[in-house]
Amino acid sequence: MTSKHVNAVAATAIATAVLAGGTAVAPAQEQIRIVSHRQPALEYYTGQMQAALPDGRVTVELMPIDRQMELASITMSSQSDAIDVVYLNDTSLKRFAANGWLEPLDELWEKYKDEYNLDDFPASVIDSVSYDGHIYSMPIMTNTELFFYRSDLFEEAGIEPPTTMEEYMAAAAQLDTPRRAGTIMSLKPVDAALNEAHWYINAIGDGWFDEEWRPIFNNEAGVEAITMMKEMTQYAPRGFTSHANDESTINLQQGLAAMGLQWFTRAAAMDNPEQSRVVDQIDWVAPPGGGARLANDGFAISKFSSADKEEMFRMLAEAASEESMREGARYAMPPRLSVLEDEELAKQYRWYPAARRALETGKAFPAMPDFLDVGEIVTRHILQAVTGEVEVKAALDQAAAETEELLRSRDYYK
Amino acid sequence: MVRWQRGLWLFFLPSFGLLAVVLLWPLAYAFYLSFFDYYLGSDERSFVGFGNYVALLTEARLWASMWTTIIIAFGSVGLEFVVGFALALGLYRLHGSAKVLSVLLFLPHIVTPVVASLFLKWILASNWGLLDATLLTFNITPPDWLGDPFWAKLSVIFADAWIFTPLIMMVLYAALQGLDHALIEAAQIDGASNWRILRHIIIPALIPAIIFTISVRLMDVFRFFDIIYVLTGGGPGTATETITMYTYQLGFRMLQVGKASALGVITLVVVAVLLLSFNKLLNRIYRAGDI
Amino acid sequence: MRKTDNFARRRRERLLVFFALSIFTILNLVPLLWALLTSLKDPADAFTIPPTLIFEPTLEYHRQVWLENDFVRFLMNSLIVSAGTVLISVPAGSLAAYALSRIPRRSAGPILSTLFTIRMFPHMLLAIPFFVMGSYLHMIDTYPLLILALVAINQPFTIWLMHGFFLEIPRDLDEAAAIDGCSSWQAFRIVILPLARPGMTVAALFSLLLSYNEFLFALVLTGVDTKTLPVAIASFGGEDITSWSLSAAGAIGIMLPIVVIMLLLQRHLVRGLTAGAVKG
Repeated sequence: MTSKHVNAVAATAIATAVLAGGTAVAPAQEQIRIVSHRQPALEYYTGQMQAALPDGRVTVELMPIDRQMELASITMSSQSDAIDVVYLNDTSLKRFAANGWLEPLDELWEKYKDEYNLDDFPASVIDSVSYDGHIYSMPIMTNTELFFYRSDLFEEAGIEPPTTMEEYMAAAAQLDTPRRAGTIMSLKPVDAALNEAHWYINAIGDGWFDEEWRPIFNNEAGVEAITMMKEMTQYAPRGFTSHANDESTINLQQGLAAMGLQWFTRAAAMDNPEQSRVVDQIDWVAPPGGGARLANDGFAISKFSSADKEEMFRMLAEAASEESMREGARYAMPPRLSVLEDEELAKQYRWYPAARRALETGKAFPAMPDFLDVGEIVTRHILQAVTGEVEVKAALDQAAAETEELLRSRDYYK
Repeated sequence: MVRWQRGLWLFFLPSFGLLAVVLLWPLAYAFYLSFFDYYLGSDERSFVGFGNYVALLTEARLWASMWTTIIIAFGSVGLEFVVGFALALGLYRLHGSAKVLSVLLFLPHIVTPVVASLFLKWILASNWGLLDATLLTFNITPPDWLGDPFWAKLSVIFADAWIFTPLIMMVLYAALQGLDHALIEAAQIDGASNWRILRHIIIPALIPAIIFTISVRLMDVFRFFDIIYVLTGGGPGTATETITMYTYQLGFRMLQVGKASALGVITLVVVAVLLLSFNKLLNRIYRAGDI
Repeated sequence: MRKTDNFARRRRERLLVFFALSIFTILNLVPLLWALLTSLKDPADAFTIPPTLIFEPTLEYHRQVWLENDFVRFLMNSLIVSAGTVLISVPAGSLAAYALSRIPRRSAGPILSTLFTIRMFPHMLLAIPFFVMGSYLHMIDTYPLLILALVAINQPFTIWLMHGFFLEIPRDLDEAAAIDGCSSWQAFRIVILPLARPGMTVAALFSLLLSYNEFLFALVLTGVDTKTLPVAIASFGGEDITSWSLSAAGAIGIMLPIVVIMLLLQRHLVRGLTAGAVKG
């Protein structure tokens, strides 16, 4: 008996008992349930999925990314069929695939290759939605972090957008006022803080790991990176330790911060007059120093789903069709070559030139299934360092030790 | 034995049967799990004996979270008790006219804790929260209530107090109403000061209620979860990570259920020791007859 | 006239106390009122310095949260779980409590203190095995699992509470029934049960309060299907500029039913809170 049936029976029994023979709850037609992170691009694409099937067949639940990951991994680890389709980025995809929670899509991919022109996705994108040689998710968007800055303020101050971290810090210091923070910083654990740290660790440090998965983020360059991050926080808005992408977006939109790292998917919101007080005042460049995060996001099908997998695959393919992505290009970079290489995009959306450069200098998270668990450890210690509870070096050493212990227990070192 | 008593044991059956299946069995299972290295992701488990306990007891994070728990627990229960008792005395003083006030004062306790924590978050949130927005209006730059390690702890204590002070107030108020009023009046006629009446008549009579409220609150505060989860998520860093938050992180975010079970068992031992010694202490004072 | 002086002084004191308590009460309710105001505001008014107090109220967000955001479904989940918990926990607990009140004190004592000890167990210690066992049985995200978990943590308190009520019903009544030839079941059903109704109301009220408000078990044992209101509001994202008014509307909506019920049944509430405290 699946959990859906258990629920229907229980609900009926209780409803009957409560209403003393009132109308019983009939088991609904099998629905497809999608769980996703809430942000503008994903709101659009999950909407496309709902439109692909008759009304009411598809329900979508959107929530902040850390909550979504929590819900998805709790549900999947219990092998429940309560989630059919789940939003995953390249890192969480590896974790879920390695744990055997996802349905491999190779056969369906082969079958529908021509109908949906799936060869249009570049090899690098296919690679990022694969694990161990199998395709596990339908690519929906390529996302990259951009450097957002207030062009009006920069012009007024007579400075150019930064190309190095030092210039970034100087600009943040210069534009910092009591009412307007120099720069946004999104340090809410886990997702947001990990993204921000990823940038510093790559731009100033030597990255997270060496080739044998030994942590190197606590070496001299790593300490320098997080020390700089700590110094940068003096120009961050109040409450930055609990800011994720939503809060940072609001701070930029409300004119409460002058610059900072934020996702491509938030660019369009800057020019939305209903939400933003800085329409046409924000400009974009590739993040100074390089090494900010690149991600490929997609939607995967749960191994435990009791819905029709082929139907779900077709629903995902509809949402990822060329037509759908042409419209979605406003919210996120479409991974399809036919759309991405369209010269019209840059004319239509001001942030595309910066994004193309960010694609070249950016860096994905380390390709390991356990990086999210590493993130749980690392962000906690980095926050301790940044808020001054622990010395930077000591915090990073401790983080490295715990990381190594975790990876050892997951058999990384033979 | 009287005849009607004979079938009585059957009455225990449903309840104790339930308790055995849904309480004792899971607890025994948790105890059993605590001896395994068990990562729920890969579904592999291997027996490690006391490995989890040793690993936990030798790591700094456990002790840090233990301290945080103790600071928050005693801070909030202390605050709740002092304020709650003062409110109860005030209500008692007012007699009948206190009815409406007592209902209004009790309101925060009825609200679902998650919702109550959200209410407080909207007061304490930086920039847009009521407190921040008000202070910023007068050009005062307040501290970062939820983002600074020190203030975050205080905010959590304050939040717990907002939700649970009404409970202590209500219990003590009910206990006060059970007092023999003639005794107090006699003392008043004798010209005893308010302070002396409180110390020698009211407090001794209230000892059972006081022991009860403080013990119940202490055990609850050791396992409280919703308030921190909503307000700070244990952050910034680990500044408000209590032992319960840590267990949650281990068990349900990192899916290391063996280690998390071991931490649960450790928590149980700590709470038991703490409560037993607390009760012994108060009982001794109680028996001695005076404070 | 020393006595009149004394009287006047006490009157003055009382006025002072009343004044102080009133101010405290108002301050104490500020978070609640602020949330209520936020739920009636457009987001543009919610994000201002100084805070906006005068604005054109709108019920738009209350409408959205209930009609466009699945909150009705979450409310149904909460009601099903609460009803299930009450219907299992109260009858079972009452039976045990009755028996407990009728056996000799020296046997009842240890059972009662064991129940009290069980109350202090960390819920986290119970949540983990429930989760692992629930996974094996494929019962995660089903109503019965959450209901059973809530019964488990609720049962000791229910027994404790009902025990106090049954003690107040004289044993002579049972004995009289026994002389009339009733079995213990008949004595309980015909004679005792009608007298215990107020007690069962209190027990039901507290089981309801617990299961409606409970967060930890609901968080880990429910999923997309059976998510209850507290879990829904916590994962709503309270900070997003467009959803702040929406979250506030949701929060106020969750609060209202329980506040109304509690105000109506206030008498019983005090009785339950003080069970074990005042009577020792």
